[in-house]
Amino acid sequence: MRRRLTVLFILAVTAAVAGCGHSPRDSTLSAVGIESQYADVIAQVAGPRVRVRAIETDPNTDPHAFEASPAIAHSLATASLVVENGLGYDPWVDRILAASPGARTVIDVGRLLGLPATANPHVWYDPKTMPAVAEAVAAALSAARPSDAAYFQSRARAFVASLAPWQEAIERFKRRYGGTAVAVTEPVADDLLEAAGCTILSPYPLQIAIMNGTDPAPQDVAAQEALLSEHKVKVLLYNRQVTNPLTASFVDLARRNGIPVVGVYETMPVGYHYRSWMLAETSALEQAVSHGISTTQLGTGTLRP
Amino acid sequence: MRLLGLMFAPGFFSNAPVHTALLVGGGAAVVSAVVGVFTVMRGQSFAGHALADVSSAGGAASYLLGLNPLVGFLGMAALAAGGMEWADVRDARERDLLTGVMLGAGLGLTALFLYFAAVTGSATGAAITVLFGSMFTIPASIVPVALAIAVAALAAIAAIYRPLLVSAVSEDLAQAQGTRVRLIGLVHGSALAFAVALSAMTVGAILSTALLIGPAAAGLRLADRPGRSLAIAVLTGLIATWGGILLAYDSYYWTPGRGWPVSFFIVVLVFLAYLLAGLLARVRLRGVRLAAAQPSGCGQH
Repeated sequence: MRRRLTVLFILAVTAAVAGCGHSPRDSTLSAVGIESQYADVIAQVAGPRVRVRAIETDPNTDPHAFEASPAIAHSLATASLVVENGLGYDPWVDRILAASPGARTVIDVGRLLGLPATANPHVWYDPKTMPAVAEAVAAALSAARPSDAAYFQSRARAFVASLAPWQEAIERFKRRYGGTAVAVTEPVADDLLEAAGCTILSPYPLQIAIMNGTDPAPQDVAAQEALLSEHKVKVLLYNRQVTNPLTASFVDLARRNGIPVVGVYETMPVGYHYRSWMLAETSALEQAVSHGISTTQLGTGTLRP
Repeated sequence: MRLLGLMFAPGFFSNAPVHTALLVGGGAAVVSAVVGVFTVMRGQSFAGHALADVSSAGGAASYLLGLNPLVGFLGMAALAAGGMEWADVRDARERDLLTGVMLGAGLGLTALFLYFAAVTGSATGAAITVLFGSMFTIPASIVPVALAIAVAALAAIAAIYRPLLVSAVSEDLAQAQGTRVRLIGLVHGSALAFAVALSAMTVGAILSTALLIGPAAAGLRLADRPGRSLAIAVLTGLIATWGGILLAYDSYYWTPGRGWPVSFFIVVLVFLAYLLAGLLARVRLRGVRLAAAQPSGCGQH
C-alpha cells in the first residue's frame, strides 16, 4: 500500500516539476540539506550567493519517522546540490530524486565517508564528518559555478577552521576523563563519545532496538538497568527525539541512582549552528562527568556561528 | 536439574522485565481465557477482534497525548463495546457488517493518531508496540493497574456466571427464566473490553484475538462442562503466555544478541494448543465410540 502511494506521489511530483519548466536556477544556485545540520554546513560554505533549504528541521520529532510532502519533493527536484545523510537514515530522498532526473550533485554522506551500509547513521556527531562534507560541498558548488570556486573554497576552509574549538574541547575531555564509562539509550551520540574516549557500556543491540522501535531483548534491558542501579556508569545519554516508556524508565532509574542524564539532540536545535550545537553537547557531557550536572534541554541562546 | 538449566536460560527468574511480563501477561491470559469462553459461546469472536482493533486507536492516542497506554486501550475498547451493545443488532449478518465497518473505522483512527504521534512527537516504535505488543518494555508501574483490571473483569464474570452461561447457550431460554439479557450483554461487553485492553497491552491489539479465542476454543473443544472448559482455557492461556515469554527469553541465545518478539511465540503456542485440542478431542470421541460399542458386544456373549 505504502509503495503504491509512493509511486502515485512520485508521478504527481514528476508531472508538477515537468510542468514548471525552467526554474530560476541560472541566476541563483539552490541547494538542499536534508537534515538541518547539513543545510547549516552548506550555508556556511556557500555564503549568501546560494539559496539553501533544510528539510528535516524539527528537533522534537523522530527523524527516522519523517515523511516527505509534495512541496518538499519539488524543492528537491529543483536543487542543484542535495546533501543527504544516507546509511538508511533518509531513504525517501533517493526515491524522489530517481523520479526527477536532472543535472544535480548528490552527496550521500555515508558513502562520502566510505562507511558500510549498516553503520551507525548518526555520523554528524563524528568530528571528522563535517570537514569532509564541507570540502565535498565546496567542490560541488565550484563545479556548478566555476566563477565562484575560490570563494567557496576559502569559505569551506574557514568553516573547517571554525570547528577547532570543538575539537579542542573533545581532546581536553579525552585527556581528563578518557575511559569514562557511559550508558546510552540510542546510538545517536556514539561517534562523539568514542571520539572523546568514553567507553559505552550499553548493549549495542538494545540501542539499535530502541532506535528502530523494535522489541528489545529482556537480557539487554536488564543489563542496562544494572549499569544504572549498580553505578557502573558516570552518565546516561538519551536521545530526546527517540523516546518511549522504556527510555523514560532508564532516565528515571538514572535519576533515582543519582547518575546525571544528558539529553542529546538528533536534529540541530533551534537557535544553534552546527558548531555551537556540538560545542554545547560536548560541554553538557563534560558538565555531567565533572560536576554531575544533568542537561535535558540546550538553552536557546543567541545565534552564534 | 540440567534439563531445567537448558529450558530456562540464565537469569530468567531474576530479570525485571521478565517479572513484569509474567505478571501482566499472566493476568491478561487468565482474563482473556475466561471472558473468551463466553465470547466464543455467544458467537462474538469477530466482535472481540473488532474491539481489539478499535482499542488500538486508544493505544495510539495515548502515545499522542502522553497517557498510560493501558488507559487508552481500555477507554477505546469500552467505548466500542458500549456502542455495540447499544446498537443491539440481532440479525447475524447485520451484526457482522456493523462489526467490520467499526473495525475499519477504528484502525483508520489508529493510523491517524500514529501519524500525528510520529510527526509531532518522538513516539518511536509506537506502531509496533500498539499493534504487535512489546512485552519487555512494559513499565513495572503498570502491574498494579493491570492486575486490578484483571480482578475487576473476573469479578464481573463471576457475579453473572449463571445467567451469562444460560444466555450464552440460549438467549430465549434465559429470557424465559426472567434474565435481563441486555444487562448481561452489557456486563459481558465490559469484561470483554477489559480483557481486550489487557491483552492489547501485552501481545498488541492485532494479536490480542489469539489470546481471547484460542485458549477458549481449545477449552470448549476438550470439555463439555463449562467449568472444565474454563479451567482448560485458563491453563492453555497461561502456558502459551508464560511459555512464549520463556521462549522469547531463550531465543536471545539462538540468534546471538537478538531476542525474537514475544508475541510471535505466544500466538504460535496458542495455535498449537488449538490443534492439539482438536486432535485430543478426536481421540476422545473415538474412545467414546469404542466404549459405546463394547458393552453391546459384551452383552451378546
